[in-house]
Amino acid sequence: MLGKGEKRKFDEHEDGLEGKILSPSDGPSKVSYTLQRQTIFNISLMKLYNHRPLTEPSLQKTVLINNMLRRIQEELKQEGSLRPVFASAAAAAAAAATASPPPDSLSDSYREAAPPALSAPAPPPAHACDLGSTTPLDACLTPASLLEDDADDTFCTSPAAPPAAAARLSAPAPPPEKDSFSSALDEIEELCPTSTSPGAAAAAPDSSRGGSGAPGGPKPEDPKLMDSLPGNFEITTSTGFLTDLTLDDILFADIDTSMYDFDPCTSASGPASKMAPVSADDLLKTLAPYSSQPVAPSQPFKMDLTELDHIMEVLVGS
Amino acid sequence: MAISRGLARRTVPEAADIISTVEFNHTGELLATGDKGGRVVIFQREPESKNAPHSQGEYDVYSTFQSHEPEFDYLKSLEIEEKINKIKWLPQQNAAHSLLSTNDKTIKLWKITERDKRPEGYNLKDEEGKLKDLSTVTSLQVPVLKPMDLMVEVSPRRVFANGHTYHINSISVNSDCETYMSADDLRINLWHLAITDRSFNIVDIKPANMEDLTEVITASEFHPHHCNLFVYSSSKGSLRLCDMRAAALCDKHSKLFEEPEDPSNRSFFSEIISSVSDVKFSHSGRYMLTRDYLTVKVWDLNMEARPIETYQVHDYLRSKLCSLYENDCIFDKFECAWNGSDSVIMTGAYNNFFRMFDRNTKRDVTLEASRESSKPRAVLKPRRVCVGGKRRRDDISVDSLDFTKKILHTAWHPAENIIAIAATNNLYIFQDKVNSEMH
Repeated sequence: MLGKGEKRKFDEHEDGLEGKILSPSDGPSKVSYTLQRQTIFNISLMKLYNHRPLTEPSLQKTVLINNMLRRIQEELKQEGSLRPVFASAAAAAAAAATASPPPDSLSDSYREAAPPALSAPAPPPAHACDLGSTTPLDACLTPASLLEDDADDTFCTSPAAPPAAAARLSAPAPPPEKDSFSSALDEIEELCPTSTSPGAAAAAPDSSRGGSGAPGGPKPEDPKLMDSLPGNFEITTSTGFLTDLTLDDILFADIDTSMYDFDPCTSASGPASKMAPVSADDLLKTLAPYSSQPVAPSQPFKMDLTELDHIMEVLVGS
Repeated sequence: MAISRGLARRTVPEAADIISTVEFNHTGELLATGDKGGRVVIFQREPESKNAPHSQGEYDVYSTFQSHEPEFDYLKSLEIEEKINKIKWLPQQNAAHSLLSTNDKTIKLWKITERDKRPEGYNLKDEEGKLKDLSTVTSLQVPVLKPMDLMVEVSPRRVFANGHTYHINSISVNSDCETYMSADDLRINLWHLAITDRSFNIVDIKPANMEDLTEVITASEFHPHHCNLFVYSSSKGSLRLCDMRAAALCDKHSKLFEEPEDPSNRSFFSEIISSVSDVKFSHSGRYMLTRDYLTVKVWDLNMEARPIETYQVHDYLRSKLCSLYENDCIFDKFECAWNGSDSVIMTGAYNNFFRMFDRNTKRDVTLEASRESSKPRAVLKPRRVCVGGKRRRDDISVDSLDFTKKILHTAWHPAENIIAIAATNNLYIFQDKVNSEMH
């Protein structure tokens, strides 16, 4: 049942899962809740940014979506995965998300309220400027149907890529002095330059966002990454809708980033495919025990599950 | 239930034709609909004719007019849609009818008058109204009224603008017949029907910092008999009853109606599905009816702790909330309605289904508003949605429900068992057979 899944038990994962690769069979019940939460989180973010230009989004909807994000963040905080500085700012950041992303669309008072919220996490000014542009957002937010197509393509045409990425991610145990996230960031940064396929442009914002998104992270802007990408990358990367978040800095210190970035699709460099494997329906079909439609265990889904286990492993590795 | 008529004739629905509100007047003689294109269509019930008894109660188009036009807010670079959010009839004071219609920002008062006679034989004016040459006037005559074809004239009487920063979700005429209120996401204003340049703010839940905002007003209504009482519902599932005698600004409610959350049903979507999409006082004024995403509830004004009745509208969707969140259906605002005697309640659902609950017998029925199944004077068949594997003939499975066909707006005749159902761009009017099985 939705949301009835047990809360992830942190110690259990720590004891049982660290350093060992899970078989896909024993994951779902524990993973499903986290994954579902992540899916809802992703959908919520999409919704906040994906509104019709020139029309005022429904305040009621925005508030409800925000409360959802807040709630999930609260949960994450309680699970101890947020560092203190972010924890204190997390709630305010969720509110800032309402205020800041659609600047044209909310009332003046709405906007006036934003700055106090933003002051706590101290967002990079570049990002704040990016908020104004709506066109890049649209370019980045692919309709669900497209995403699904992408997912299929990715799974079908490059089946070798995900396992490779997986092996890469699962191999090194996180160094003790770094938390899982920063180590994960390093991984991504190493991975990303290698993806030179047409999707590179799409994949790149993710990594940069990951890099610059963690203020406490060890490498806010990896020079290697910068070199490997097309020129004036830093200016143009506002296309990543996550980059536009002023609360990135907080959010991406948390597992959601890893969720995106470790995704087999992203590492396989499918354009705009980061949302693809976690479409809600897919999840429900694959994971939910109450689903009325039995889904034939297809190869893509299995792969997905293996990936998830790796993700969990890295997440729990801290 | 018998007699049904679809009114829109287009096969491919255009967005502008989608009906956005339905409202009977106080006698039930007139029915108004508003649509996304800013138009208001008024239907009038035909008088009973002796040679065709079945035609009694059929509603025909009486008048159509453009109430709101699309606008552009140049300061905020935002379009203001012309969509009619709500229509409310004023109690009839004279031969004319009046109604309020509102879009997101502006409320308008319209007067609907009939003319079936015209004066003839003026002394100084000719037939076209031009002044006659005085030299041609040789005799005096008495002007007379001559009958002519019925003309329905609709004229704008008042425009109540600039009262709302957020989107207006409800308007409600007070029982004093002099004032009305309009509610947006964060504020409720009180207006005098004759005064357009000022309104009084009676509720304001806007926090000092918008980042603290976690709750919005979703609907609001005046008590049918006590002009000082009104209720508003919130996105957190609560109802607040306010008394305007207590203070000018009713920031402190008199009563808070709230049901504690059922821990066994707790999920990510608990808050969203508890958001109240409509609230209606019963005709008696004793009860309130609320609709949230999955249920309708009846509240007694004398009991705040929990509703006295809860009816499941489509509980089978509970396992599909994630998909419904993804496709935005979870934010659909279903309305609800009482019948004339407050004994039956009605509300809409998906797949062109609507539900009725008999409060006395506790029986409920699912009916479908579709052109195929509702030939004129056909009797509606109850429909069933099956959840498990067992499926009877004519049952429809949850997975084949069409979520684009939703019945959000319904209205019940104030005295008789006649209901109006807006299904996308079609309006269906169903009438109870004599001694129907429902009541």
